[in-house]
Amino acid sequence: MLNRELLGPGLFLALFTLYAVVAWQIPLLPFEEYETVTSATLPKVYAGFGIVVCLLSLGATLLKQAEAVDEAHQSLEKADVLRTLGLIVLMTFYSVMLEPAGFLLSTSLFLIAGFFVMGERRKKVLLLASIPVAVVFWFLMTQVLGIYLVPGNLWS
Amino acid sequence: MFDGIMLGLSTVLDWNNLLYVIVGCFVGTFIGMLPGLGPITAIALMIPITYSIGADSGMILMAGVYYGAIFGGSTSSILINAPGVAGTVASSFDGYPLAKKGHAGKALAIAAYSSFIGGTIGAILLMVAAPLLAKVSLSFQSPDYVVLMFLGLTAIAAFSNKGQFLKAMMMTVFGLMLATVGIDPSSGTERFTFGQADLLDGISFLLVAMATFALAEALINVVRPEKKETKSINDSDTPQIGSTKLSKAEIKEMAPSVGRSSILGFIVGVLPGAGATIASFMAYATERNLAPKALKDKFGKGSLCGLAAPESANNAACTGSFVPLLTLGIPGSGTTAIMLGALIAYGIQPGPMLMEENPSVFWSVIVSMYFGNIILLVLNLPLIPYFAKVLAMPKSVLTIMILFFSLIGVYLVSFNTFDLFMMVGFALVALVLRILAFPMAPLLLGFILGDMIERNFRRSMMLSDGSLSFLWERPLTLSIFLISLLVLLFPLKDYIVERRRTKAAKLNEQQEQA
Repeated sequence: MLNRELLGPGLFLALFTLYAVVAWQIPLLPFEEYETVTSATLPKVYAGFGIVVCLLSLGATLLKQAEAVDEAHQSLEKADVLRTLGLIVLMTFYSVMLEPAGFLLSTSLFLIAGFFVMGERRKKVLLLASIPVAVVFWFLMTQVLGIYLVPGNLWS
Repeated sequence: MFDGIMLGLSTVLDWNNLLYVIVGCFVGTFIGMLPGLGPITAIALMIPITYSIGADSGMILMAGVYYGAIFGGSTSSILINAPGVAGTVASSFDGYPLAKKGHAGKALAIAAYSSFIGGTIGAILLMVAAPLLAKVSLSFQSPDYVVLMFLGLTAIAAFSNKGQFLKAMMMTVFGLMLATVGIDPSSGTERFTFGQADLLDGISFLLVAMATFALAEALINVVRPEKKETKSINDSDTPQIGSTKLSKAEIKEMAPSVGRSSILGFIVGVLPGAGATIASFMAYATERNLAPKALKDKFGKGSLCGLAAPESANNAACTGSFVPLLTLGIPGSGTTAIMLGALIAYGIQPGPMLMEENPSVFWSVIVSMYFGNIILLVLNLPLIPYFAKVLAMPKSVLTIMILFFSLIGVYLVSFNTFDLFMMVGFALVALVLRILAFPMAPLLLGFILGDMIERNFRRSMMLSDGSLSFLWERPLTLSIFLISLLVLLFPLKDYIVERRRTKAAKLNEQQEQA
C-alpha cells in the first residue's frame, strides 16, 4: 500500500522534471537577454520548487515506511474500474463523433451507451432518459436561445 | 455604503435577477443534496450558462447556487447521513441522530433557520467589512499582491486535510505550471504549446474547472462508490420527515449558539484557505466545550445546538469567503476560486477597484445574499419532502447527465472538439490524483492565480530594478510575507507533535516490556 503513497509524488517528480527540461528550452527574445525576469523565469522557479516538494514528499513517505506506519487504503473493485474506463472511452468517442454525426444523434447514443455502461438495462429508462433529453436540449439551445449546435458534417 | 446598497437592491430586484437567485438556490439545493457533489461542482456546471448572461446576473446566479448547495448538503447529511458537501459533515453528527429519533422535520427546520441566521449575519458583516477592506486595499501595490497571492496559495495547502500538506503543495505547483501554457502576455513568447495552435491562448479555465471537479467528481463516485450512497430515501431505515415546528424553549436553547457560531464562521470564512468545513467543525467543538454538562452529553446523540452551530457557521463562512474575493481579488476557497475565474472571463478584475469600477457587481452579489437566504427559507423549507425524493434518483442516470452537461457546457463556449479531448484527458489525470488522495482545490487556485502572480511579480521586479528587495522594503509587504512563511511552517508543527507522540509511545512500550 505504501507504494501507492510513493506513486503520486513519483509521477509528479517525473512531470515536474519534464516541465523543467522544457522550461529551460523556452526561447528568449533578443530584448529579454539582459532582463532579470524573462518568460522562462517563473516556469524555472515553479519547476525547481515542485521538484523540491516532490523530493520532500518522497523522503517523508520513505521515513514513514521505515517506521512501518501504514495507512489503510480503500481498494478499488475491478468492475468499478472497468465501468469508469468505459465512461472515459465513451466520452472520447462522443468528442470524436459530435461534429461528424451531429448533436442529436451523438448525444442520444452517448446517453444510451452511458446508462448501459452504468448498469441500466431497462429499455424504457434507456430510451426515455436519452432521446427526449437530447431533443429538448437541442430545441432549447437552437430554437429558444438561438445557439448553434452542430447538425453533423456527414449529413450536410 | 447606502448608495451601494441601493444600487445592489435595484440590480437584484430586477425580475431577471430575482429569477436567477431563485433558480440558483433551487439548482444549488438540488445538486448539493446529491451525495458526493458539492458547491464547486454545482457552480462549475453553471458557468457555461452564466457566460450567456451579464456579469451581475452571472455572479448572482453563482452565489445563489453556492448557498443553495450548502443548504442541500445539510439535507442529505440529516436524512441519510451522507453529506453532499464537506462543510456539512459536522451537521450529520447530531442531525442524523435527530432524524433517526423521528425528528427529521425538526432537524431540517433547525438547519434551515440556522443557515438563514448565519447567512444573514454573514451578509451584514460582509456589507460592513468588504467596503472597509476594499478602501484599505486601494493602497496595495504589486509587491503586496504577489505576497498576498502567495499567502492564498500557502494557506489553502496548509489548511488542507491532515498529512496532505505536501500533496496540496504539489497540486498548487501543478496549477501554476498549467497557467504558464500559451503565449506569454508580456513578451509574446510561446511556452509549453508543443506546436499546437489550440494551446496558444492557454488552457481554458472552464475546461480545467469542469474536468477536475464536475467530471472527476462524477467519475470518482463510479470508481469508488461509497457504501453510504447505496442508501436511498426509500430505504426502510430512512426517517420520515415529520413536523418542522420548533418550541420556544428549543429556540431559546439554540439562540446563543447560532449567534456565536455565525460570527465565528464569518471570521474563519474570511481567512484564505479556511472555509465552511473548518468553520463548521470549529463551531461544533466550541459549542460542545461551552455547553453545560447536561447538554454536553447530548452532543453526538441529537443535540439541537450540535446541529444549529455548524449550520450557522458554514453559511456565515460561505459569505465570509466573499470578502477576500471581492476586495482583494484573492479567493479563499475552491468555490470562490471558480467564481474568480468566471469574473476574469467576464473581463472584470476583482480586487480593490471592483467597488469603484463595477459597483453593480460588487453590491448586487452582497445584496443577493439576503434574498438568497430568504428564498432558501421561504421556498425550500416547505419543499424539503419533495427535494428529498431527489436522493432516490438512479445514480446511473445522474452520473451520465453530469458527464453530458460538463462536456457540452465546455463545447458550447469554445465550439472546439480539441477542448473536449483535453477535458477528458484532464478528467482522467484528476481521477487518478483523487484516487491517490490529492486535493483538487489547490490546483484550481494555483491555475487561476498563476497569471496574476506572474504579472505582479514582473511588475514588482521591474520597480525594484530586478531585485527581490520588494519583499521587505514596505512594512505591509514584509508583514504579509512573514505571515505566509508562518502559514507554510504551520503543518510542520503537526509533524513534530506526531513524531514526539510516536517516540513517547515507543518509549512507554519499551519500558513496559523491560
